[in-house]
Amino acid sequence: MKKILFILSIVLLMGSCDDGFEDINVDPTKPNQVPVTSKLTAAQLFTSGERYENWRANLIYQSTMMQHYATTTGYWSGDKYTWNKGYASSLIDRYYENPVKSVEDILIQLDEEGSPEEMKAITRILRVFIYSRLTDLYGDIPYSEAGKAVIEGILQPKYDAQSEIYADMLKELEESAAALGSGTSGFGSADLFYAGDQAKWKRFANSMMLRLGLRLIKVDPTASQAWVTKAIAGGVMESNADIAKVEHTVGPEGVNQNGIGEVFQADDNQRMSKTFIDFLQDDPRLPILATRFSDKSNDPADLKGLPNGLDLDMLMTNTGEETTDEYAEPNREIMTRRDSPMFFQTYAEVEFMLAEAALRWGLAGGDPEPHYNAGVRAAMKMLELDSPDAAIDDADIDAYLLAKPFDAANALEQISTQYWAATYLNEYEAFSNWRRTGFPVLVPVNYPGNETGGTIPRRLTYSVGDQSNNPENYAEAIARQGPDVLTTRVWWDVE
Amino acid sequence: MNQKFKYVLMFVALLFIQGAIAQTISGTVTDNYGTPVPSVNVIEKGTTNGTSTDFDGNYTIDVSSTSGTLLFSSLGFVAKEVAIGGKTSINISLVEDVEQLGEVVVTALGIKKEAKAIGYAATEVGGEELATVKVTNAINSLQGKVAGVNITSNSTGAAGSSRVVIRGNNTLTGNNQPLYIIDGIPIGNDNNGAAGMWGGSDGGDGISSINPDDIESVRVLKGGAATALYGSRGGNGVILITTKGGTSEQKGFGVEVSSSVTFDALNTGILDFQHEYGQGTRGRVPANEAEAFDLGNSAWGAKLDGSPVVQWDGVERPYSYVGDNSSRFYRTGSTFVNTVALSSNAENMNYRLSLSNMDNEDIMPNSGLNRKSFSLNSGATLSEKITTQVNAKYIVEKVQNRPRLSDSPGNANYTVALLAPNVDVRNMQPGMNEDLSENAYSSNIYSTNPYFAAYNFSNEDVKHRIIASTSIRYDMLDWLYLSGRVGTDHYTRKSTSLEPYGTAFKPLGGMQEQERIYTQVDADLMLGLDKDITDKFSTSAFVGVNSNHIKYEELNLGGNDFIVPGFEDISNLANQSRSRLFNERKIGSVYGSLELAYDRWAYLTFTGRNDWFSTLSYPGKDTSNNVFYPSANASLVLSDALELPSAITFMKLRGGYSEVGGGGDEAYKLAPTYELFGQGHLGQPLGRVSGSTVPNAALVPWTKSEVEIGLDARFFDNRLSLDLAVYKNETTDDIVNATTSIYSGYSSATANLGKLENKGVEFLLSFTPVRSEKFNWTSSINGSFNESLIVETNAEGQPVSLDQARSQNVQIQHEVGQRFGKIVGVSYVRDDAGTIVYDINSDGTPLAQEGDRVILGDGVAPWAMGWSNNFTFGDFNLSFLIDGKFGGQVFSGTNTFAYGSGLHKETLEGRVNGLTISGIDGATNQPFTTTVTPEFLQDYYGRINNIAEQFVEDADYIKFRELSFGYSFPKEILERTFLTSANVSIIGRNLFYIQRSADNIDPESAYSAGNSQGLEYFGVPSTRSYGLSLNVKF
Repeated sequence: MKKILFILSIVLLMGSCDDGFEDINVDPTKPNQVPVTSKLTAAQLFTSGERYENWRANLIYQSTMMQHYATTTGYWSGDKYTWNKGYASSLIDRYYENPVKSVEDILIQLDEEGSPEEMKAITRILRVFIYSRLTDLYGDIPYSEAGKAVIEGILQPKYDAQSEIYADMLKELEESAAALGSGTSGFGSADLFYAGDQAKWKRFANSMMLRLGLRLIKVDPTASQAWVTKAIAGGVMESNADIAKVEHTVGPEGVNQNGIGEVFQADDNQRMSKTFIDFLQDDPRLPILATRFSDKSNDPADLKGLPNGLDLDMLMTNTGEETTDEYAEPNREIMTRRDSPMFFQTYAEVEFMLAEAALRWGLAGGDPEPHYNAGVRAAMKMLELDSPDAAIDDADIDAYLLAKPFDAANALEQISTQYWAATYLNEYEAFSNWRRTGFPVLVPVNYPGNETGGTIPRRLTYSVGDQSNNPENYAEAIARQGPDVLTTRVWWDVE
Repeated sequence: MNQKFKYVLMFVALLFIQGAIAQTISGTVTDNYGTPVPSVNVIEKGTTNGTSTDFDGNYTIDVSSTSGTLLFSSLGFVAKEVAIGGKTSINISLVEDVEQLGEVVVTALGIKKEAKAIGYAATEVGGEELATVKVTNAINSLQGKVAGVNITSNSTGAAGSSRVVIRGNNTLTGNNQPLYIIDGIPIGNDNNGAAGMWGGSDGGDGISSINPDDIESVRVLKGGAATALYGSRGGNGVILITTKGGTSEQKGFGVEVSSSVTFDALNTGILDFQHEYGQGTRGRVPANEAEAFDLGNSAWGAKLDGSPVVQWDGVERPYSYVGDNSSRFYRTGSTFVNTVALSSNAENMNYRLSLSNMDNEDIMPNSGLNRKSFSLNSGATLSEKITTQVNAKYIVEKVQNRPRLSDSPGNANYTVALLAPNVDVRNMQPGMNEDLSENAYSSNIYSTNPYFAAYNFSNEDVKHRIIASTSIRYDMLDWLYLSGRVGTDHYTRKSTSLEPYGTAFKPLGGMQEQERIYTQVDADLMLGLDKDITDKFSTSAFVGVNSNHIKYEELNLGGNDFIVPGFEDISNLANQSRSRLFNERKIGSVYGSLELAYDRWAYLTFTGRNDWFSTLSYPGKDTSNNVFYPSANASLVLSDALELPSAITFMKLRGGYSEVGGGGDEAYKLAPTYELFGQGHLGQPLGRVSGSTVPNAALVPWTKSEVEIGLDARFFDNRLSLDLAVYKNETTDDIVNATTSIYSGYSSATANLGKLENKGVEFLLSFTPVRSEKFNWTSSINGSFNESLIVETNAEGQPVSLDQARSQNVQIQHEVGQRFGKIVGVSYVRDDAGTIVYDINSDGTPLAQEGDRVILGDGVAPWAMGWSNNFTFGDFNLSFLIDGKFGGQVFSGTNTFAYGSGLHKETLEGRVNGLTISGIDGATNQPFTTTVTPEFLQDYYGRINNIAEQFVEDADYIKFRELSFGYSFPKEILERTFLTSANVSIIGRNLFYIQRSADNIDPESAYSAGNSQGLEYFGVPSTRSYGLSLNVKF
């Protein structure tokens, strides 16, 4: 009997069956907070993006729709306006889980840690950039409730109307610019855009205000002018040193690399579009941007562009050529390697927008021509940021401007077309600006079986998962904006 | 007084009869299988006159009357009366009667009970069922043999995992597979990787390591009443595997050698594509090499006419059907299993030592596995009161090149299946060019040259595993015992996977090195009693404590971009990364059981257990981290309690109620965490929120309750028996990783939500149509119906999405009011009359509109059945098994691509004169009829290709699963040798389909053993196996 009691007491002792369980369930490999600076660095890299969406949304769709590239390869859906839903939604599929989630989390942490306003301002500007890219491409998107599953417990965010998103983004830019002073922010060199330089962030905020303000030109010209006026008054980018960009490295992991450079390493199906090569005639950028596929010649005489919308059969019929080997391809040895910087907004774009503001409203000094010339010069000079081999002599630029001077009679087309050339590879911006201005005039293709009735798409489509994971909000967005197809226009893109 | 009087009368009568006559009767007594039964008592009924059978079952008896009756009885057999009827020779066979003997069965926690005492279903399968027809994953041998056990062996290669689900799925997104207990110790059965929509390989599971030759028996505990004592881990049922020990062998020293060889041949009867039109586009052949290269798998070319046409490599070849590419690419697989076992059984000590080697070559070239198992089971009686048992297994498993599945990159199955009829796969050899680049056959860099995929891609893993346990039992008093047991399942698994330099979609290549370390330690301490309280009342009871501790660690080294081409080592990678993963969880438990028995025909058992979960514990958490669950079950042996008609040999009614609960399968789900990831950027660390699942600080245990009733009835001396079970269970507060909107920033959220109900019926009908001395036929049919119904998901009743297919037009999803795991995908748009609505494109081709995602089928078949037969004639034995599943569907990725690329036979229609399509024009809502010219057929079918509805097919099948024909050498021959037994069998497995609904695919060819069943996407083609098996003992 003693034995039994002994054993029973062991049993009872063991009875406290959850000793130490609380500590076991704390993940020893994961801290419960990390420095906010490290989060900003990561968020900026994710804004530059991974290979995934750079390949699909940026290149496969937009670069070919914008006729920077052309291809005979079937899966490059944008060349022929066919619909691959997974490719179309790829920016949503990557952005919300990475940069969106990060910036929302950073803002909370900055609040909790009582960080200085300028750090919040920088994060808010980055946040506007991220959402502007999303809403310009898709229209109505979750904005006010997005990325807040842990913060506010919102698992099914509503889609906000683009009109409201724009109003809020512009307000955010205005407030953020006002909150920025001079000197280095608390992010310091963790800030890959500007190493914490508040003045540069302020100019970026105003330049973004300029961009978003001009976006409203078709839907609300009055507001457009007001925001553009405010942006210019606040001070926009002044040189290529102000370019908003992230520097990449060739490794050690995918996240460190320029996503477009990664695509160029894996996929050589793209050719320079005939539209783009034709534009680049007598342009010092031509031998830098393009090279002949077959022998890598970059003699301008050897560089011909491939018409969009062809398959190999049609190419054969049209030209008798069996392959696209004799066409120009991106000069991947020089431009946009895996360690090239990724540009988000450039000084060249800003000058072109100032030229437009001068043209439309007499703003920015009232004369578009100097802004146009400065824009062209900046667009050519900025290539050397990619690679020293891409440097263009000032003399060549002068010669170009002399040969192709500002043409006041076709000013908007000329400015917008240069803008289109300057946003080569930032196809998100090229696509938005083309929809806004209608320039350059791109001749659509009409490939058999295309999805748009032979018109260039006006947006890309939503992630299909939300049809079942967030059905009510998805349906509400469709009801407001129109069918979830490539031809539906976003709010600011009125006809 | 009365009784005594009778005895006296009888004695007097006997005295008279004794001397009356003397008639001699002789004969042989055999069992059901025709084996002689020695030591059978043979008594002339109504007399004390008797004898017993000799070693060969022969007897001779002198009876007093030829009109009398002989009574044959023996322990373990149903007694039999035979009228002499003037005969002088009477040969009979006796039927085994396990119940009457008080068959002992192993129940939860290894407690042995009389079979008739248990109030729930428990099915046993003997080890020989798994060992005769051997498969690389022994558990697959149970398929079709146990009612209510649904086994899916997928098309993932010989080293792949299998999915075992007992009585339906119990949790929406968690683990639904049973707990495996080997010799009392739970083992880990986690998948070491599975293919998903983006491809991958099946990394194998835990149960596949077990050597079938070591298995003594497998007992399946199905319902909650049977498994409640295992607590949370038993919620999905328990499979108890007992491995052979010294006690089960003959007395003294023995040796057993078994050897088997199985060949796996590609089942060529399944893929049935068109052979009339070759590679090309719009009805014409490729114009040149570049176009042939660009067209890849497109079989929209011209009619095959034998003319010379250029192919992807620039070579002109006759434009004609080249024959079956699959049978050229795949090889005949083989599996050799050799086991030697030494056993000894002495008075106080017994052991069995076995060594086994399994060598497999998969049908996928350059792929296979080797498994070496060492097993030592040893029992000892240390003193009168103390017995111990030590079991240890050491298993070394080496797998080479697990085939890639699902998505096309690196997946040889994809390419081989989809080559145009005029393209010969052999021309793609070698897969690698001299400059080390992939010998690409298509401009689509993601469809890999199959030889490159098989010979240049590589992965290899080596697993060292120890499963060991030791137990001790101390019988303190004759009714009181104390027992303890501690065991471990520990493995390390090192794997290397390589995407070589030169891969078309990854020109600089990359590789991964991974080490996984898994340790599970489980310990029990139990105090028990068995006591007869009165003549009629007896009781047995025990209380115990249990601790279960699982630790898992993963170290990863990997990277991309080889610097020196062809040199494959981590040091040669320009970009390297590393990571570590760690996971630890514990369950602490207290349990007890009380059984009351009345007069050996009425039994009532209560159990209770309380589990505490580390996965539900966190500093400051104020919701419960533990749950108590009770169970009760009762058994009434009606045949003992009542006088039943003599046709009823045995009848038992049983019933049980149980509750069980659990704490979730994963650690660290309660609080958000952050991480520093990668290796920084330009000197700056990279930080972010960790993970893509929203944590939940208030998580509580899920619970499941179940009611089960059953009947076990045997008739006509056991020639007919029926085991029937009906059950219903309900899981509430399931711990679910529910899919969230992508815009939330997370892909899923952990929550207690959902209610799931399973209802089902299981039956096992066994009968012996022929029973004679020379020939016996026994047959059994088992069947089950289980319906898993999703009663609730979250408050909004939103569906829970599981995996989707790579085509991204179909997924597996749980919907309220529907069965578990519906196939939900893009449908046709139809008008009210059901006519398909089309968009007419600019050249007049109607393109079917892509409709909403709707329910298209059931990923899990509710009906399953198996029919096994065993014939013995003399020393020969023939058995076969036919099994089937019904009521499920499968989405076929193969047929999707076959449509898009013009390989499906249905795409032949219209190639000559065009295809007439009638439908509704979506633009005008008016009916139209148009003819799609052959040139534009590919656009028409190309659109259908996006519509999942077209490719969801019935997965019903009836398969001739298993055949064995064996010969046991008769004792007369063996007596002259050193052998004690020897038998040889010819075996076959998966021989053919008796019935199959789906075109071009094996209905059992899912690529995942996870919860998303019903997606087929370029797995390893199915095979037929045949072979030879030999077993000798001496």
